[in-house]
Amino acid sequence: MKYAKLVIRNILRNKRRTLLTVSSLAVSLFLIVTLVTVLTEFTRGSDEANPLRLISRHGVSLAFHLPIAYRERIATVPGVQHVLPYHWFGGIYKEQKNFFANFTVDARLLQAHSPEMKMSDAQWQAFIADRQGAIVGKKLVDRFGFQIGQRITLKSPIYRISPEVIIRGIYTGGEEKTLFFHHEYFNEMTPAWSKDKVSTFGIMAKKPEDVPRIAREVDAMFLNTDAPTKTENEREFAMSFEAMMGSVKTFLYGIITAIVFSILLVTANTMAMNVRERTNEVGTLKALGFQRGAIAGMFVGESLALAVIGALVGIGGAELLYRSIDLSMYIPNFNSFTPQNWTLVAAFLLALIVGLVSVSFSALRVSSLTTAEALRRIE
Amino acid sequence: MALPLKYNIRNLVVRKGSTLATAASIGLTIGVFLMVMALARGIDLTLATSGEPLNLIVLRNGSTAEMMSDVSRDNLNVVQFLDGIAREGDQPLISPEIITLIYKPRKGQTQGGNITIRGVGPMAMKLRSGFRVVEGRTFQTGLPEAVVSRRISERFQGLGVGDQFRVQATDFRVVGLFEASGKAFESEIWADVNTLRNASKRVSFTSLLLRAQNSSQLAALEKRISDDERLKLKALSERRFYEEQQGTTSMMLKGFGTFIALIMGVGSCFAGMNTMYAAVANRTREIGTLRVLGYKRGSIMVAFVLESIAIALVGVVVAVLLALPLNFVSTGTSNFMTFSEIAFNFRVTRELIIAAIIFGVGIGLFGALLPSLRASRTKIVDALRAT
Repeated sequence: MKYAKLVIRNILRNKRRTLLTVSSLAVSLFLIVTLVTVLTEFTRGSDEANPLRLISRHGVSLAFHLPIAYRERIATVPGVQHVLPYHWFGGIYKEQKNFFANFTVDARLLQAHSPEMKMSDAQWQAFIADRQGAIVGKKLVDRFGFQIGQRITLKSPIYRISPEVIIRGIYTGGEEKTLFFHHEYFNEMTPAWSKDKVSTFGIMAKKPEDVPRIAREVDAMFLNTDAPTKTENEREFAMSFEAMMGSVKTFLYGIITAIVFSILLVTANTMAMNVRERTNEVGTLKALGFQRGAIAGMFVGESLALAVIGALVGIGGAELLYRSIDLSMYIPNFNSFTPQNWTLVAAFLLALIVGLVSVSFSALRVSSLTTAEALRRIE
Repeated sequence: MALPLKYNIRNLVVRKGSTLATAASIGLTIGVFLMVMALARGIDLTLATSGEPLNLIVLRNGSTAEMMSDVSRDNLNVVQFLDGIAREGDQPLISPEIITLIYKPRKGQTQGGNITIRGVGPMAMKLRSGFRVVEGRTFQTGLPEAVVSRRISERFQGLGVGDQFRVQATDFRVVGLFEASGKAFESEIWADVNTLRNASKRVSFTSLLLRAQNSSQLAALEKRISDDERLKLKALSERRFYEEQQGTTSMMLKGFGTFIALIMGVGSCFAGMNTMYAAVANRTREIGTLRVLGYKRGSIMVAFVLESIAIALVGVVVAVLLALPLNFVSTGTSNFMTFSEIAFNFRVTRELIIAAIIFGVGIGLFGALLPSLRASRTKIVDALRAT
């Protein structure tokens, strides 16, 4: 540490080069944090799944529906606490570009089924009491300025109906980009072909250890019917959605690797230039009696300092930006866009590694020169 | 008087470490840009070539995807006798179709995806050019048999010739594999429409595909079907239908690709600037000498800009060469409208390569402007005095 002053002086010697290298590192680390956040947000559904919940859907595809009569039969499976219709409505508010998720549910059970959703008891009661009632997540309120008591129309391209619902509550927690309304209300107005049908059932188990058995028993119950079921715990269900993204994950990993290599090259180049230009100085330092380790250490310190400054600007910038602007409002299928703490730590460690690796070659080379060689070198 | 190019090339070779590092960093930027754009291009091309110019697709009014559509048998009876439909012998070229999905695990994974099964009428192969069976044979009308796209068969388990899959209570046997020169339906399984309709217990079809005699008839038929109050149907040209289908996915990819490429581009531009500043600083005396020899400020500036562009071009060439094999890679993603799989190839097209070159040269140019300006402004006396 006693050489800290020398390291700082050296960094400030060529301010433009330092600035360019740090900026290059900063934008790249910003991009890395962004891309890793995209990846972690993809898997948030399966990472934060409730271990007690199961989802039962049509065995062939989500695009097919199950008879609502299954509800009573599923409820008879031992270990099931409750079953509720959880039906994808897919209505559009005013324009296609306003798309947000909307489901019809059994309002009386939603609170028990989704403990992560927080809303005052008065609002829960108001929602349950009004057949036309709906509740919306906080982020939808931020986006569209919805208010309690507001009437909104959801136009469905699937069912070709346009139910009008009245907002009775605003919840926080869970997926804050969703609207829920009463399944009974939907069922009354929907055309005959879709009456008494639901896309999924939400099942709540009493104990986590019952979950695999419940899934097996429910599926066995409907195995040879027209509408066989596929029942999974919430985590598996979310993973099957994530699997639909196909090769996107591999793709993102590829891009991240490319960026890491790129910053490695940029920093290595800068450090190589620094070291080369100062070969003469190294000779002087050696002549003054500085040891090889100390000289190499100074270069390493310089490179690490560059990496740390770049990391603080880039990673800090990403964190600040995504904390203040919620990108998920504009990305469908994303419920939040917040870098996870370990992402930030990992990006920082990565920057340190890049700082170390990029200088190692040049530092070794120059510090192993003899005094005479170093002094003789002119560039 | 311009400096000989040889001067620049030699300089690049002398500082080969620096040149390579900078070129590689620019190359990585261009590589990522090419990869994302080739994916978007692949989706675009798949869809652009999928629709045939004279084909008309008929859906239930208000549905945006085939999956949500519903066309009754009465509707078919009205539509198939309309004037203007092309004929094969005395039969109208029209195919009633039905689509449904099956869920299959991907090869080597436990998770899978949904695959579209299309039940087609006997005219379907005549309506879609490029369809050809590459292994086994085609399905027989009335039997629970199916042909699977080769791409899908390669990506999913249990869809080879001789395998069986279940639709509700009926087992379909795979009797052949087909290719369709990269069109959208090359992500599907095909079977006989009536067999599939019975298997999935449906009464109606999901859509009709028909061929108009000529383009004026196409417009007339489109209007005739869409305007008929009793039918409650919507007709649109097959070409437009496919464009609307995947427009958003490819738009999102392009936006994403541009965003990443721009940020990486800024990063490698800074790197290029660093290299060029160092080059200028190291050669201050050389610049002085050149000035004394009579080279103008402008020529010196141009020389340094060209040097930077040459570095960038090395990166671009490597990136393009590495990206070209992507043309043979096929991949897939899910269509979120229907939850079904679409397979397509990366496409590194000529336009894309030109765009990559322009982008790379741009990075080199911007990275060089300030340093070379500095070089050209060096005073002769100062330059010669420098050590």
